[in-house]
Amino acid sequence: MAEVEARYRKKRLDRGIKARADTIFAIASYREILYLLLPRALPVILLLVLPLLFKGYWNKVIIYSCMIGLLALSWDFLASCGLFSLGQSLFFGLGAYVAGTLSYYFHWSPIFTIPIAVLGGGLLSAGLLSPVLRLRGVYFAMVTLMMPLLFMKMIETTGLVGGSHGLSSLAPFPNEWVAIYLAVGAFLVCLFVFRRAINEDYGLVLKAIRDDDRAVMSAAINIYWRKTQALFVAGAVGAFAGAFMTHHYQFVGMSVFALDYSILPLAASALGGPGTFAGPALGSMILVPLSEALRALGGLRIALYCFILILSVIALPEGIFHYIERKYHQFERLVRVG
Amino acid sequence: MGKKICLVLLTMLIGISCPVVLIPASSHSAEPVIIGVPTSVYTPFGRDGLKAVNMAVEEINAKGGVLVGKEKRPFKVVVTDTRDGEPTTPVHDALMAYEKLILEQKPHATLIAPFRSETIIASMDLVAKYKVPQLQTIAQTPQFQVKFRTDPEKYKYLFRVTTDAAIDAGYISGALDALKADFGLNQVYFIPQDTLWALGFIGVLRKYCEKTGWQEVGYEPYAAGATDFSPGLTKAKEGKAQVIAMVWDVPLGAGIFSKQWAAMKVPALVVGFVPPMAAPDAWKNIGKDVEYSIHVEFPVGASVPLKKLPKTVEFLDKFQKKYGKAPEAAAVNSSAYDSVYILAAAIERAGSLDPDKLVTALEQTDYRGVSGRLRFNKDHIVVFGSNPEETGVCVVFQWQKGKRVPIYPAFLAEGKVALPPWMKK
Amino acid sequence: MSLLIYGTISSIVLALYAAGFSLTYGISGLANFAHGALYILSGFIAWSFLNQVELPYFLSALLSIIISGLIGFGIYWGLLLRVRGIPLAELVVTFAAGVAILELLMWKGFYGIQYSLPLFLEGGVEIKGVAVDYQRLFVIGTGVVLVGLLWLFVHHTKIGLAFRGMAQNERTALSVGIESDWIGSLSLAFGSALAGVAAIVILPMGLMESAIGYEVLIYALAVAIVGGLESTSGVIVASFILGFGQVATAKFLSAKWMIIVPLVAIIFVLVIRPSGLFGKFKELEERI
Repeated sequence: MAEVEARYRKKRLDRGIKARADTIFAIASYREILYLLLPRALPVILLLVLPLLFKGYWNKVIIYSCMIGLLALSWDFLASCGLFSLGQSLFFGLGAYVAGTLSYYFHWSPIFTIPIAVLGGGLLSAGLLSPVLRLRGVYFAMVTLMMPLLFMKMIETTGLVGGSHGLSSLAPFPNEWVAIYLAVGAFLVCLFVFRRAINEDYGLVLKAIRDDDRAVMSAAINIYWRKTQALFVAGAVGAFAGAFMTHHYQFVGMSVFALDYSILPLAASALGGPGTFAGPALGSMILVPLSEALRALGGLRIALYCFILILSVIALPEGIFHYIERKYHQFERLVRVG
Repeated sequence: MGKKICLVLLTMLIGISCPVVLIPASSHSAEPVIIGVPTSVYTPFGRDGLKAVNMAVEEINAKGGVLVGKEKRPFKVVVTDTRDGEPTTPVHDALMAYEKLILEQKPHATLIAPFRSETIIASMDLVAKYKVPQLQTIAQTPQFQVKFRTDPEKYKYLFRVTTDAAIDAGYISGALDALKADFGLNQVYFIPQDTLWALGFIGVLRKYCEKTGWQEVGYEPYAAGATDFSPGLTKAKEGKAQVIAMVWDVPLGAGIFSKQWAAMKVPALVVGFVPPMAAPDAWKNIGKDVEYSIHVEFPVGASVPLKKLPKTVEFLDKFQKKYGKAPEAAAVNSSAYDSVYILAAAIERAGSLDPDKLVTALEQTDYRGVSGRLRFNKDHIVVFGSNPEETGVCVVFQWQKGKRVPIYPAFLAEGKVALPPWMKK
Repeated sequence: MSLLIYGTISSIVLALYAAGFSLTYGISGLANFAHGALYILSGFIAWSFLNQVELPYFLSALLSIIISGLIGFGIYWGLLLRVRGIPLAELVVTFAAGVAILELLMWKGFYGIQYSLPLFLEGGVEIKGVAVDYQRLFVIGTGVVLVGLLWLFVHHTKIGLAFRGMAQNERTALSVGIESDWIGSLSLAFGSALAGVAAIVILPMGLMESAIGYEVLIYALAVAIVGGLESTSGVIVASFILGFGQVATAKFLSAKWMIIVPLVAIIFVLVIRPSGLFGKFKELEERI
């Protein structure tokens, strides 16, 4: 790379309002309260109001974005614990099949199948992945990548639970509005609970495990148990997304383990900024509607989608959310060096 | 510097895609009758089916359009790529594309329909919900009828204008009879693709072979994503099979099988449905080894012109003239062409585009098309048989001296089934 | 006997898939998830040269290998360089590039049965009653030569050692004068060229289709992981295990289960011996 002499540097300073809002003066005036509240309230308001404005197809897009958002949140939760997962579709698929089989063979309604799928999916994922919890980094990622493929091929080969044809005509939600507000509600609840939890003691231990697990071990905390718990939570969230989609489309087939459902949350997190749950949520809210909007382009859709993804990751490797956060809290000036 | 360039490029790209989004879907003009085509455009079946549909639509529009009540209105085709021909696409994604087509373009009917059996079955509920008549012309799965019978009133909007696995197998059975009668062959090895329609096909064939005294050397289903058939071909060779009955639709596996069979020099005839070996260019692409293989074309007119059925010759000539090359797969293209005319006839009979009236009119279809005389039975599938004056027909052909010669049924045959020299004892 | 021969062929095919991928991911530590896409792209490039520009087969093949190498080089400079060090970003960017390539190929109409490379030589021989065509013999030959050359390269040439140094500890490598950017791009170029070579010998055995891209990537990943990321001998052994495993399953169980074998093998190996069969057993780095 060529050598560049630094003549200018970026000087970043916290905005005045940030400095004030950081302390007790946050409740001093409405400006500070609004400054703190707006970024949190805005997405909630938007997501609650948009379904009323859109109709038909775009409501489906909102639901799909929320589901991918849930998968991305679960990915980020695992990443906060140091578990890099390339197989979100495993959780998605497990939840989908639990709900699907209960609905198909026993004709239970979504009210029962979804909670059972959430718990069952969580337990199953934790159970399947706990033997490999001791593996680090790339090895754990590989196992998570291979597991959903294995399930998909097993279902295709054995022909169990519908085999390659899948289970169809499952019970739908009683009402479109129930469906969309359940999706939006689950997404928002998950986002805010995760964001809160990661800064509480529980979450701090998880982050510590990611940063330096031997240190945590030497503090007499059983990291395997904690990781299993993290797997359970992430698995449960992913399973909810799977169960929801099953009832929404009234169908479950072996393609619920498709690579798409692993890659999309990953891309959403890469785009939005991993580490802060708001980043993956934001990323999925951008990527999924983008992908749907590009359908109008027909053939070039996926190629263009990939280009946009690549450019975003290169231009903003830290993620969009970090960038926005920084801009929101700080302002930059170019200052001469020396 | 690099990052700035990326940001600029990014905004440009998003800027380009935005106007595309904001262009409203022109579904609000009352004039044209909208035909939706939700299918996997990047497969030969989808691509050639779409070409056939476009050709039919052009012909109808050239005559002024279709008569709806008192006025003639042109057809307009809107396509959405469900991408379900690609193995990595989840069914939900395909359904989203289908739903977007229905909600935004508001088609009055859809043709061709998704490629993968999984998706077709899943789409049945979608179609029932939105009440848009669907005439499917690709999927061969017998599961369609099974599901239809569970609730005929709910699924009445769905029709199949092509064959299904059992019908295709019936025709191959006829060819096997000829092989047995003329040459005394009786050892068969089965290689089905592990998907329901192919298993159904081979299942029917197996039962028939058992009944008529064929000896089964082996039965080995391969997963749809298989890329290596050497174990099966070896077993066939060791078991001295004389016929290999093979049914496959995924292009990847079929291509590899064709070349492997040629390379391994298995002294057995390939009989069944292997698209790359049945295509017009097979001689050039796979080589002279496709000689003597026997394939079923369902229905007639998809790719092989038959002298005894002038409509097939006419259709394929028109196709060749318009698009420069004949349809590739020896299956379902003529169904796509016929489905447009069936739809037009039904619209004129019903006098309106109301879905329920259209369904009733479709049920009364009696159309003489490229694939024979097309009528629906109570399961909403076209009846196929052995008389083009009464039902739809298929044909079985064999590659002889670089040409595809129809050999069965007898009234369509232009030659007799031949045995390769390396099989004469 | 046929089990032996076809098992060997299967294994060598897997080794060829994995050779290029192993060079970049295993030996140099650079994730190139566009490997499968580059594989099928070189096939299509060769086809275009052969059928549209009407060059002789040998020249088309050579050109396509060189072009894949150049594309690999470009991928490093254009993509990986900008996101080096952020493992998630590397993966996403190269995978997206791979998918984009596959999609562009389909959009351009590169699907259908006319997309097939001709065999090098028609005909074959019979080995103890098993017919083997010349193309498959060629595959075996190329595979053996390639893996042999790869081993020599990685263990005995300066550049090969530089690749390994970069994967082991980049800072130390820098301090002994190994310029990581240049070496990285060379590594990617070689890896992609290897993918091109594999494509040229293997693709004539079947049809060309974009879906192959995904397959090849999964298999390459499987072999690399099972064999151990930094080891060439690992690639050989792993591909033999997976290849024979598949063929044996098909022979003794049923062909249906063939697809499951590589997946089960990977999970098995990862649970028992994560750094792969021949990877350096880095107890501290792989387990907690």
